[in-house]
Amino acid sequence: MKNPQRLPDLSRRTFLKGSSFSTLMSMLGGVPLVAQEKSADPAAANVGKPIGRPVNCGLIGLGPWGREILATLSKIPEAHIVAICDTYAPMLRRGQQTAPKATATDDYKAVLQNKEVEAVFIATPTHQHREITLAALKAGKHVYCEAPLAHTIDDARAIALAAKASFKSVFQSGLQARSHPQRHFLLQFIRSGAMGKPVMARAQWHRKQSWRFTSPNPEREKEVNWRLSRKTSPGLIGEVGIHQLDAATWFLDQRPQAVTGFGSLIKWTEDNRDVPDTIQAVLEYPQGVQLTYDSTLANSFESDYEVYYGTDSAIMVRDNKAWMFKEVDAPLLGWEVYARKDSFYKETGIALVANASKLEAQGEGGAEDTAAATNALSFALEAFLGNAGKVATAVKDFKENFGEDDEALKEHLADLRKGRLPAAGYQEGFDSVVIALKANEAILEKKRIVFQQEWFDLG
Amino acid sequence: MKSSIFSIRNVVLGLVLAALALPTAAETWTRYQGQPRGSKLKLEGTSTLHDWSVEGKLIAGFMELESNFPLDPAAKPPADAKLNAKVEVKIPVTSLLSGTQLMDEVMYEAMKQKQYKDIQYRLKQISVKTDAPAGALQFNAVGEFSIAGMLRTNSMVVTIERVDATRLKVKGDTAFKMSDYGIKVRAPLALPLKVGDDVKVAFEWLAAQKAEAAKPAEK
Repeated sequence: MKNPQRLPDLSRRTFLKGSSFSTLMSMLGGVPLVAQEKSADPAAANVGKPIGRPVNCGLIGLGPWGREILATLSKIPEAHIVAICDTYAPMLRRGQQTAPKATATDDYKAVLQNKEVEAVFIATPTHQHREITLAALKAGKHVYCEAPLAHTIDDARAIALAAKASFKSVFQSGLQARSHPQRHFLLQFIRSGAMGKPVMARAQWHRKQSWRFTSPNPEREKEVNWRLSRKTSPGLIGEVGIHQLDAATWFLDQRPQAVTGFGSLIKWTEDNRDVPDTIQAVLEYPQGVQLTYDSTLANSFESDYEVYYGTDSAIMVRDNKAWMFKEVDAPLLGWEVYARKDSFYKETGIALVANASKLEAQGEGGAEDTAAATNALSFALEAFLGNAGKVATAVKDFKENFGEDDEALKEHLADLRKGRLPAAGYQEGFDSVVIALKANEAILEKKRIVFQQEWFDLG
Repeated sequence: MKSSIFSIRNVVLGLVLAALALPTAAETWTRYQGQPRGSKLKLEGTSTLHDWSVEGKLIAGFMELESNFPLDPAAKPPADAKLNAKVEVKIPVTSLLSGTQLMDEVMYEAMKQKQYKDIQYRLKQISVKTDAPAGALQFNAVGEFSIAGMLRTNSMVVTIERVDATRLKVKGDTAFKMSDYGIKVRAPLALPLKVGDDVKVAFEWLAAQKAEAAKPAEK
């Protein structure tokens, strides 16, 4: 059940040896430096950022999250928003306020037929992803498909297989944490063994909210509240928890072997929903490591976070910021003496921020001011645009010089993708759906499910 | 009379054949086209942090060799052999890969990829390398590289190997200074990093013969 997408192994010695400048260089594209981002030189603002060519974008689905994507894209210079789409006129009008020059339509096919559109962002209800994504890939577009890829494993497999076959297109799953520099910093840290031997992990997402959107009529009610029906909803763990489950699977470098779940409808019992508003799941990873996940719409205490427990320390991740809590018998790493420290009740957390000691010395504030506080979505969209622009240029250059030779082009693009900006591809997107949907199944049926290797196989 | 008629006819026929044969001999060129597979290129340099390298596998373009161009290593060509060859090479800058996209973008920016999408090479003159090892077909090639929009003359030794009946592989290495081509590398993340001026280049270029012999391309 090893994750085939893993990064090379790091030893603790390698990590410590390269804990400053050389680590930074080895992780180019991954680790931000606050001091540079806050430079007084305006020209320095673009330093270190991809300078790829602009990409013409179409956005399909303008609900709250779709509009968040639209707003984020509108701040990225490389994103040229040329088309937006939603079947509901008020949402389309709201989208036009952000992208007034874009062609607005209620038909996604019009976006796909638009030759000007190079890349599409699909933020429709999850159960509509399959049809639109397959059509977009068939139309030769680069595709950013929100997570989860689909509400059934069959649909997700169809999407992943189509993405795999469409080698000239960049496909990215909306697991945005996979693109966040701070997450990559933590990945190196955890994989290096700096927290000792992994013991267990826990994660939560707690809110006091109904998960229901207001609607003017019954038709719209059904359209907009698809999350509340088991027929169309992957549940709390599939819609929200999938991001944290994916992060744990990525950090632990293992797929889970089994999942046991529990779910209850406790608070929101009067609107005929059949999706639990409170869930727990235990995911069993190899070597006895278990991830405990809980989520509720009935209580907001402690909001959302993840904790990874090791024999030497625990690492807490909140809003993509992280702190290490060391055991008294843990070996001294060295740098932590100078690192920023924050108090959490009776515990002291050592901020895990790239170059944290330098920030402290320079009075730059530390974790709150770093790229960790930057929207993960922004990094994910930048990665998608950078990768899509690069692949599009490479395809054009190749064809100009060598004509149509798909096999040779495929090899060239495979080389090119080795250095891509970090992002979740079709395999990570598919894996996360299998894990989350099986967890949802375990929750709904209050049972234990053993994962089968072949469920993850894409041939 | 009969014999004189035959004689005149033979002379005319001979002249026609000679007229046809002369240009044919002068224009019998073979064109080899760069292939999308089988080539490789490596650029290596230094910096204050560590040595760097970028690699590519796409070398496009063509070479056209006159029929008497020596391609048999067993028959060593005379040192003063007059060699006619036409070579034009294009390497898409975006095909050069460092392994990380950020470094790629830094490189592309330094090479002004948006304005000058290809590295180009054009052969000006080629001659037999007289002190080549036995069995090796080596040549002194003088040509022009166009990098980042700047044209500079280059001299290098190349080896030509016949891979099979229709394919040739050209191998060589050379070097240049970034400053000669106006290349200035802006360090990523505003790091206090300096990149060395000298760049080493090594390449292997696979070119395959087209199905039909072709005349040299018009200049």
